[in-house]
Amino acid sequence: MTRGGAGALVAIALVTGLALRVARLDVRPMHHDEANQAVKFAALLERGEYRYDARDHHGPTLYYLSVPAALLRGQTTLASLDERTLRGVTAAFGAAAILLLPLLTPAIGRTAVAAAAWLLALSPAMVFYSRMFIQESMFVCFTLAFAIALGRLARGGGSGWAAIAGAAAGLAAATKETAALVLPAALAACAIAWWTSPRDGVASKSPWPRPAFTGVATAAAVAALFYSSFLTEPAGLLDPFRAAATYLDRGLAPESHVQPWHYYLGLLAYSSSDGVWWSEGVVLALALAGAAAAFRPPAASRPGRAFWVRYLAGYAVITLATFSAIRYKTPWNLLPFYAGIIVLAGIGVSTLVHAARSRALRAALAAALAIGGLHLGWQAWRASVTYAADPRNPYAYAQTVPDAVRMASRIRDLAAHHPARALMQVSVIAPPHEQWPLPWYLRTMPHVGYWSRPDDALALQAPVIVAAMPFTDELDAVLDGRYISEFYGVRPEVLLTLYIERGLWDRFLADVTGNAAAAQ
Amino acid sequence: MTKHILASSLLLLTWALAPLGAQAPAGKEELKLKLPKPMFIGTPTNIRSPNLEKVTGKPRGPVYVPKGTTLLSLNEAVTSSDDFPVIGELDMITDGEKSGGDGFFVELGPGTQWVQVDLGASRALHAILAWHYHTQARVYRDVVVQVSDDPAFKKGVTTVFNNDHDNSSKLGAGKDKEYIEVAEGKLFEPNGAKGRYVRFYSSGNTTNDLNHYVEVEVYGLPK
Repeated sequence: MTRGGAGALVAIALVTGLALRVARLDVRPMHHDEANQAVKFAALLERGEYRYDARDHHGPTLYYLSVPAALLRGQTTLASLDERTLRGVTAAFGAAAILLLPLLTPAIGRTAVAAAAWLLALSPAMVFYSRMFIQESMFVCFTLAFAIALGRLARGGGSGWAAIAGAAAGLAAATKETAALVLPAALAACAIAWWTSPRDGVASKSPWPRPAFTGVATAAAVAALFYSSFLTEPAGLLDPFRAAATYLDRGLAPESHVQPWHYYLGLLAYSSSDGVWWSEGVVLALALAGAAAAFRPPAASRPGRAFWVRYLAGYAVITLATFSAIRYKTPWNLLPFYAGIIVLAGIGVSTLVHAARSRALRAALAAALAIGGLHLGWQAWRASVTYAADPRNPYAYAQTVPDAVRMASRIRDLAAHHPARALMQVSVIAPPHEQWPLPWYLRTMPHVGYWSRPDDALALQAPVIVAAMPFTDELDAVLDGRYISEFYGVRPEVLLTLYIERGLWDRFLADVTGNAAAAQ
Repeated sequence: MTKHILASSLLLLTWALAPLGAQAPAGKEELKLKLPKPMFIGTPTNIRSPNLEKVTGKPRGPVYVPKGTTLLSLNEAVTSSDDFPVIGELDMITDGEKSGGDGFFVELGPGTQWVQVDLGASRALHAILAWHYHTQARVYRDVVVQVSDDPAFKKGVTTVFNNDHDNSSKLGAGKDKEYIEVAEGKLFEPNGAKGRYVRFYSSGNTTNDLNHYVEVEVYGLPK
């Protein structure tokens, strides 16, 4: 493949990947985690308040790196923020990961890089989670950058690569606690590949302590900046160490999100629900072809390739094995190792292309790859738009349903018929897990209170009350027919009851039925 | 120029009068509420297993109907506002199969949709049951059940059930309550209403915007 051809293919993949990641970003209701993080981000945006929470919500980069996007769009408060701003940040990092792949061209060749760029651009999992305001796409970007820089360093790169690897490691560590798994996995894979590959005289130009020091110092400095909230909270430097116990406990003895070891592979290979099926099996199959290349005797003309193929295969396998061994599993955690698998699949494409000797065979391979790519792209669109919040979508996990957005819209419509308007009191009486994402959707209403039990008179004086189902018997008795009620879904299997004061409901109904009659 | 002056004056007036709208009545002051903030908490569990018992409580009691009442709708013809269901075939709605899993339900498009059972002849009806989708705790919106001898439902329509309380489906506001789908189905009581056709409306549900039917059953006197 020519340099121009490969460049064009990567550029088109980047544009396609970006388009899939930013199109209709507001179509999926805000997930519980997204809403949590959006409200935390708003505290940073509005008041400059941020302190790492060692019990949850991962690292600070998502919040700090979202500030420029919000300012660019002229949004400085929680009320003014929108889904496009927040998800635009993670979508940009999702696309940026594609831009890193050309750095591998000297290592694995243009065909492999172009193929990997397309697979990364079209992968439904990569696209879906890049469109969520969570840490994953940033984490993939930083860990992939670290893996590439580490390999370049091992293959004779200068201290510049050490600094890049350090910066990427620092950013990864300040993004998600699972950096403690992914970064050592990359180091181990690199060491194994280095020892098992033939020596060709190419090695790091400096003695190893110097780049190691550069990398570690850069990583520590970058991570420290973020964890100390840019040196304003020096005590925050210890928080990642406090968090270690939390995450160790969650990984080894989780109370929820427990899945079997094959959960991630099964999710990627094939899943089906109520007549809708999904598969990224083509990527897994191509990755197997790529992994097979790691065991072939290295070509005399390209000794460095043996190192890279073994390194990337080892990185994919070690990270996959590590994440699969941990009992706590959420589907977005597959992204870091899946990025490695996708690069390996790119190598698989290159291996197959070079193995196909006849023109007819190459044409058949190109056609099969095109069909596989189209299928991935179609699934990415279907997962991100058509079935974005549907429980049949395997990537949608504990996803808010559109009904929750309707409930918030109903509450705002009701407020428009209340004398206090947007200042109307709304009481949400539900366990914390059932309260979200309402704080996001009711962010323009300042008098929304949240209780986890229905035993506070202040909560029961509101004209609009949102209640968890277990509290409805108690509330029905207390509210004594003064309220009408409606059901709304917040997530699959999780319903909430909306209580509306009769007078307010009558005014609202008279208005909507009057308008409907006038329209007829 | 005049327009600009007028517009500027209006803006100034609005700005000057704005605080008046927020002023408290004489002798009163705004109650400053201190409401609790939401707790930040991690990812909720992705619930897959049904929790219907917890949500719905007791099973339905016995249903009493006139002697000789039989199931009239079994394998009778079904039509719909959505001729091309997203999933399944319309005849699954009267095939007697009520398990709600894969391959046993029909999925119709979003918005207000209906299915209609043709009983072949006008009958006095005494019980109607519907199962929309019961493998998950859901509430279907704007459930309306009507009986008529007119297949177009333009005349002689008896409404048996209507919980569209804000008239969003434009069939008239109903007073019946919303309900959660359960495996035993929802019972509607036609109280002897006569008709050849029974039509079931719905408009999405609490999980998605689509409409589903596992089964409907219409019971009445055969003659």
